[in-house]
Amino acid sequence: MVVITTKKPVEEVLNTLRENNVKNLVVISCGVCAALCQTGGTEGLKEWTEILEKEGIEILSSAVVEDVCDNRVMAKDFRKLGPSVEHADAILTLSCGLGVQSIVKVLDKKHPNKKVFVTNNTEFMGMTERIGRFYMRCLGCGDCLLNETGGICPITTCAKALMNGPCGGMVDGKCEVGNYDRDCGWVLIYNRLKAIGRLDLFSKLREARDWSESGHQREVVFR
Amino acid sequence: MAEKKTYSKLGEMLSKGEFVLTGELEPEKTCDLSHTIQEAREMAPYVVAANVTDSPLAIVTINSMAAAHIIQSETGLECVWQLTVRDCNKIGLAGQIMGAQALGLRNVLSLTGDHTAMGDIPEAKPVFDLDSATLIKLVREMVDKGSINENEIKHPPTMHVGAAANPNADPMEAEILKIGRKAEAGAEFIQTQVVYDLDMTIEFLKGIQKYKVPVFLGIFPMKSYGMAKGFDTFVPGVSVPKEVLERWKRVKTDITDKKEQRDMYDQLNFDFFKPFISELKKKGLLAGIHCMAVHYTRIFPKLADVVKA
Repeated sequence: MVVITTKKPVEEVLNTLRENNVKNLVVISCGVCAALCQTGGTEGLKEWTEILEKEGIEILSSAVVEDVCDNRVMAKDFRKLGPSVEHADAILTLSCGLGVQSIVKVLDKKHPNKKVFVTNNTEFMGMTERIGRFYMRCLGCGDCLLNETGGICPITTCAKALMNGPCGGMVDGKCEVGNYDRDCGWVLIYNRLKAIGRLDLFSKLREARDWSESGHQREVVFR
Repeated sequence: MAEKKTYSKLGEMLSKGEFVLTGELEPEKTCDLSHTIQEAREMAPYVVAANVTDSPLAIVTINSMAAAHIIQSETGLECVWQLTVRDCNKIGLAGQIMGAQALGLRNVLSLTGDHTAMGDIPEAKPVFDLDSATLIKLVREMVDKGSINENEIKHPPTMHVGAAANPNADPMEAEILKIGRKAEAGAEFIQTQVVYDLDMTIEFLKGIQKYKVPVFLGIFPMKSYGMAKGFDTFVPGVSVPKEVLERWKRVKTDITDKKEQRDMYDQLNFDFFKPFISELKKKGLLAGIHCMAVHYTRIFPKLADVVKA
């Protein structure tokens, strides 16, 4: 699994830095997911070093970090970067949204006023077909239906995330959203369940999803 | 067996097994319903009820509950209030159902609704908290048990709930099984998408016969060649057969007199739909006809005769 990111327009990021009067930075680049998406890693760091130099922003230090989203790894890497973290106007991270929040959390005690900015948009948890082809197939909804839907998720493959599809927007197995280019998730489910001899599961009337656990910050804490 | 309770003229006719004709009204992006009310008046003598659409194609129009209430009060024509799950969560839908009851609506058609991305406010959040089957279930809980999520409603609604079906769907078996879910959820009638292919329609109607839900066949008599062409091009999943389109085209090109043209279009519609309807009635596959020809009210007097025949 990879958290898929895409690049924000450079001008949008530079505008944020300008608005915040950033003159110097520590740059962190994710060496895992963002590297795979070509929005971070060594290459991304090189690209942003050039952009920032052109903009006249000084880079006090930089690092490609494995797992920016892991608080422990991030804390260790910040220690390695030494006093530059303290002196920098802000931290710029080439990562996903988890990376940003990991940095904010790790710096919270020592540097509660440190600004943190991100160069990427976080798209989704992705399945990788090959580099450059990533697909959202799981939303992490917390109540997995895949055992009953032939291993195909209606929450992500149905544009309406319906529990009882297909809807009237399906034409010849394709979905109305996206000009009938994409497969209808519920037809994919139908085909799979038919192939594995479980159309009884397709016939089942499913209850609406239970969203009662979605209204707060979800956590998994087991020790 | 206790007789099924009825709450509307439509419900009553269904329970008596009488063949029905329903129409369709499509309120527009306006707060003035006079045009729709006029159409309602024109079709009222010939139909038992008319659907009032809920922002079809996700293009925002006046709210369907308000429109249906006003049409009913102004014209006396009973409405089938269309309600999609696109724009409201379960709280909103349940509240609307109670509101509709208070406003005198007694038939609701449960629909998924076209995706927000298709409409004229594509940035709006698509809700789809329920789907068309679970909305049916909600209505039935509110009506039959007088509760929402098992919490009592002081004065519960009394209305009939219908579902949509698409005989043109491919794969058809997936659509048939889906209708089974809607039947299980408690759908009391089914209105189909517009059909032009008799064999496919027969196959589909036979496929859903086992669920024992009365079916109103969706037809779309075409007022002009332009309407036919537009329908063929813009309504997803429905295609008007080429030879039919050709016949309509010839009227446009060969006949110059406007009245003659109108009469010929009407005639072509009857020539096409009369045998279509009569064949399906003969096979006992239908409980009624749902005519979706909006802005074509002059068709109703003769259509009512065809449906009765």
